[in-house]
Amino acid sequence: MRTAPATTAPTTAPAALAVRDVTVRFAGLTALDAVSFTVEPGSVHAVIGPNGAGKSTCFNVLSGVYRATSGTVHLGDTELTGRAPHRIAALGVARTFQNLALPPHATVAESMLLGRHRLTRSGFVSTGLWLPSAAREARRHLQRVREIAEFIGLEKELDHPAGALPYGKQKLVELGRALCMEPQVLLLDEPVAGMTADERRRVAAVVAGVRDSLGISIVLVEHDMGVVMRLADAVTVLDFGRRIAGGTPAEVQNDPAVVRAYLGAQE
Amino acid sequence: MSDTVETATAAPGTPPEKTPAPAGALERLRRPRTYLWLVGSVLLLAFPFYLDRFWLQAGLFAMAAAIGAIGINLLTGATGQLSMGHAFFLAVGAYSYCVLAGESSTENGHALTGLGLPTWLAAILAVLLAGVAGGVFSPIAGRLRGAYLGIATLALIFIGQHVLFNAGSLTGGFNGRPVPPLSVFGFTFDDTEVLVAAVPFQSSEKLWYVALLALLLSGLFARGVLRGRPGRALNAIRDHRIAAGVMGVPVARYRAGVFVLSSMYAGLAGVLLALVFQRTVPEYFGMILSLEYLAMIVIGGLGSVAGAVVGAAFVSLMPQVLTHYSDSLPLVSAPGTGGLAPGEASRYLYGAAVVAVVLFLPGGLTRLKKPGEKK
Ligand SMILES: Nc1ncnc2c1ncn2[C@@H]1O[C@H](COP(=O)(O)OP(=O)(O)O)[C@@H](O)[C@H]1O
Ligand SMILES: [Mg+2]
Repeated sequence: MRTAPATTAPTTAPAALAVRDVTVRFAGLTALDAVSFTVEPGSVHAVIGPNGAGKSTCFNVLSGVYRATSGTVHLGDTELTGRAPHRIAALGVARTFQNLALPPHATVAESMLLGRHRLTRSGFVSTGLWLPSAAREARRHLQRVREIAEFIGLEKELDHPAGALPYGKQKLVELGRALCMEPQVLLLDEPVAGMTADERRRVAAVVAGVRDSLGISIVLVEHDMGVVMRLADAVTVLDFGRRIAGGTPAEVQNDPAVVRAYLGAQE
Repeated sequence: MSDTVETATAAPGTPPEKTPAPAGALERLRRPRTYLWLVGSVLLLAFPFYLDRFWLQAGLFAMAAAIGAIGINLLTGATGQLSMGHAFFLAVGAYSYCVLAGESSTENGHALTGLGLPTWLAAILAVLLAGVAGGVFSPIAGRLRGAYLGIATLALIFIGQHVLFNAGSLTGGFNGRPVPPLSVFGFTFDDTEVLVAAVPFQSSEKLWYVALLALLLSGLFARGVLRGRPGRALNAIRDHRIAAGVMGVPVARYRAGVFVLSSMYAGLAGVLLALVFQRTVPEYFGMILSLEYLAMIVIGGLGSVAGAVVGAAFVSLMPQVLTHYSDSLPLVSAPGTGGLAPGEASRYLYGAAVVAVVLFLPGGLTRLKKPGEKK
């Protein structure tokens, strides 16, 4: 379980992820309304809230997919807002998607290799000419992909088409692909939704393991309160795009505003 | 060091990292595919000694088309970027070769400009020029996605046709211009007869090996790209553009890059077609040609080299087969005799083939055997 991380101590000092007054509007709808929170380096920070609260929108801003209408996001001293997704990825921010975003035909190994994109260099010329350097690079990184697959319990599925796996396993592949980016910050959008109890335990153990051994900061959107309470060091609660509470899991759990939001949203 | 040795000995067809245990020579001897390749290679090498000129021309055509199809399969099949402008880049390749290699001359009262460069150099430069033309268009190709790029590239066809018909001193206008035969190390690929093993070799026979080599190298290059890091990035852009960006793939840069690469493949195909035709005419490089290339990759299989080659063979050999057997086929008759001309008939046929493939074989002909498997 703890073997995978060894080779990848982050090269830069861990940095805090600071979200300041971020507002996102879609044609009249305010999906995020002046939301602020800070993810301490090496912590697990849960973002919770009813459906439609703006959690995924928040991730989309953090990863550069959406542009914030106003407000800023900083990773350490570097501003993330306004950068293209691939530039944010280059700074070591990785994410998974709430709805799967895996290639339909590629194998698990190939899907995870895509996560190595930012860490590899081979281009059109070196791969087209079958240069040994490209083959060497591919082999080295495939080795790392195997380690990570083992770490998350996917080693047997490496040569299977990712799209043909059960839903829970596909979510694991997404997590693996994000880990393959050797990130500083990992954004997980409902990582255990649709998983079996066994897979849930696995993901929880991976998340805790990644934080403890690598010092990666993790932002976690999750509905499973058991998982949140067990893993999170801090919690931010969103409702209708507003931050209505924040603090330690225990503080948040007893916050009347949170109880109200959740009871009101019970279906 | 052992890395290098391993790569050198591993056959290109068997990516070492995908097979759990690297296939040994014995293992390979047991596979039927090895023998298919062997027989295929021997046949392809022997054809010029046995086939008549008609079939050699048809084969040359198919090989040149295969190179062009590999190019558009990189762009449309692997990256999901539609292009209607492939014919434009074929034209750039063909005409650049003529202008660079040809001598200045006068034909039918037209003054033709030519730089008279060595023909092998002209061929290389023509491919590069097609790449440059792709590069000029690449800021647009990088920004537009999928069908939108398809619409924008229509402009290239219109511009291309206008220029080809009107820039008379470069293109020869409506009548086109003659294509100087290729010449490498003093050996000229023209119609002067050379006896090889008692078989007279003219341009078709000689060009056969040029085309075969060009196709082999283009195929290997594309396969290397597709199964390596750029290929994964391109497929990611096709399958899930947003995820590709989030994974660190600079989407616009890759779209632009693959557009340039695909243009260069078209350029090379254009040079070869010109050499086979021995004359370039503007009419040929129209919208229909672009559509034919799209038909090739849909029929053969999107996103793979094999798909492009199979599709190109299907689409470009069909008219020849129909022409040859027009006597014995119902409905089809020799051109100009009132029935369905072979060219037309083949167009109906591969029109039907496209529809059939889209409906029943979404992976194309190359996925026929093993539907579960990936490219
Ligand atoms: N691209 C978009 N265009 C328009 N509205 C959007 C878009 N993305 C999200 N929204 C809206 O923003 C709100 C928050 O959505 P989301 O962030 O997905 O919520 P959550 O992940 O917390 O369930 C919802 O009302 C949703 O409909
Ligand atoms: Mg969501």
